[in-house]
Amino acid sequence: MDVVPFVFDIAAYSAIFVLVVLGLGVIASMMGIFNFAHGEFVLLGAYTVYSFQEHGMPTWAGMIAAPFVVAFIGLILERLAIRRFYSAPIVAMLGTYAIALSLRETVRALLGGRFYSVNAPLVGSFVIGDASVSQWRTAVIIITALVMVGCWLLLTRTTLGLQVRASLENPALARASGISVNRVYAGTFAFGSALAGLAGALMVPMYSISADMGVPFLIKSFLAVMLGGMGSFEGSIAGAALVGATSAALPWAIKPVVADLLVFVLAIIIVKFRPEGLLSKTRR
Amino acid sequence: MSQAPASRPGRRIIPIVEVALLLIALPMPWMLEEFWVLFATKICILALLAISFDLVWGYAGIMSFGQALFSGVAGYVTALLATKSEVTSIFVLMPTAAIVGLILAFIVAVIVIFGRRIPSVVFVAMGTLTGSYVIERLARGWSWVGGQNGISSLPRLTAGSFEIEEGTVFFYLALGTLIVTYILVRLLVRSQFGLVLAGIRQQEGRIAFFGYNVQSYKGVVFSLAGIIAGVSGGLYAFHEGFVGPGQLGPVLSTQVVLYVLFGGVGTLVGAILGVAIIELISYALPQIDWLGADVTAFLETGWPVVLGLLLLGTVMFRPTGLIGLVVTDRERIGTFGRAKVARQPGSTP
Repeated sequence: MDVVPFVFDIAAYSAIFVLVVLGLGVIASMMGIFNFAHGEFVLLGAYTVYSFQEHGMPTWAGMIAAPFVVAFIGLILERLAIRRFYSAPIVAMLGTYAIALSLRETVRALLGGRFYSVNAPLVGSFVIGDASVSQWRTAVIIITALVMVGCWLLLTRTTLGLQVRASLENPALARASGISVNRVYAGTFAFGSALAGLAGALMVPMYSISADMGVPFLIKSFLAVMLGGMGSFEGSIAGAALVGATSAALPWAIKPVVADLLVFVLAIIIVKFRPEGLLSKTRR
Repeated sequence: MSQAPASRPGRRIIPIVEVALLLIALPMPWMLEEFWVLFATKICILALLAISFDLVWGYAGIMSFGQALFSGVAGYVTALLATKSEVTSIFVLMPTAAIVGLILAFIVAVIVIFGRRIPSVVFVAMGTLTGSYVIERLARGWSWVGGQNGISSLPRLTAGSFEIEEGTVFFYLALGTLIVTYILVRLLVRSQFGLVLAGIRQQEGRIAFFGYNVQSYKGVVFSLAGIIAGVSGGLYAFHEGFVGPGQLGPVLSTQVVLYVLFGGVGTLVGAILGVAIIELISYALPQIDWLGADVTAFLETGWPVVLGLLLLGTVMFRPTGLIGLVVTDRERIGTFGRAKVARQPGSTP
């Protein structure tokens, strides 16, 4: 077996996973909400692309539209329901679980419980040396890298990013300094949803779309967020890369079931002994 | 509300609800058709699971998304015993189920509860949820336990030479187990032990400063809940004649949480109500035909959407659940033990 396509497979999977976790991590660390509906936002992103294709529009247009559609849905949900759950993590989990159930079953009813595939906007492959690499996977990796750099610049180099970080650090003080924390929260939630939507849109040509496609991502993403440490941008990415790469690479070495088990149990044990996350420098 | 007189206990509602439920349940096999007796049996068995969750979350404040893990594995172990070594005696299988539940709960408790630091509620929730997910994956991938299909066509439970058939006999078995469990758990949570649990739920740090070993209390109550979940899982497997990966996973685990939340957390009877009402709604929704053909067509596959919205509404607007509509906060929180009044040795179970 060739090494290059193998590495690309892992990299593409990890890239998508990083997007999912980044969205979840932003929401979890900013607002303390572990969003159980995040997997369903991924699903909605994929569904947007699918319905674009069904109506005869090009899939790339669907992929551009997906983050906006999902962000809009996220915004509505935040205004209607999620805003009541701030500072009540358990209630938030259950509330978002109920939302997830409704979203998933709606999509299931729309899809009729079947699997569909969507064509990639880029078909074919590059040839590097004697190995060929799927163009679409390359595109996914590049897009993810660009989005990550964009997020990082947004958070660290702009006034908006400053306001976001201020609201995260100390909501009361941020409010006193004239930042509309409510609006920042709503915006962040929409942004996190958009990332999930984008991940779903990019994922759909590689995996087929079905109502349950978001579910396996959910628990893995939670673990990645906790592993990386709540409340840090780099932490979420590192945790996601670690969990994503391990869970994509291990099945090649050992049985997939055992690999999953190993990843989860290890992650839980690491989080138990380092609850503040792997990257965090603060020690108790 | 005025101050002093209002603190006098009002009319107690929970006993009325309990007696009413019992009166509804007892004559069921004589009044209903076979189908509904099976339905009621399932509700009794799921109510056991709901009680085990209410015990850990409603009384000790441990958020467990893993109750289905204990019940499901207990179901698998008893099913394997029945199919591979042909043990069908209820006197062997149900204690086995209880012990499996106990051991598993203890293992999970060692990972997510014990330790020098007090684990955050999110960590406990995620840890138990992950456990549940991992076990489901394992069961799906392991062909010795049936893989995706699970283990089907289980033999009937036997007591001596008597076969326990699904229907009236099984119903009374499940109901009897439920009643005994309910009474035991009720005594437990109303004892001085229950008072410590309530303290842990409200203000864990403060109870630790009082000198209680908080972790041990939580471990004990979590393991006890594991026993109840185990028994529920064993009964469920033999009632359905089937165990599958779906009975282990996060879906059932979360469903249990929603049952209890819907019925009312921390009342025990609320858990039973929640199971009964949600199961009835789930059954009734796809049957609605008086809202037009379109609605019927949608509900046939889309009924969980309505259920989801209903639950969202409960979580948002009725945090005390359905039971909170009729029961006051004072009664919900209740009173504990009699150590101060009676001072008899052995009065605290």
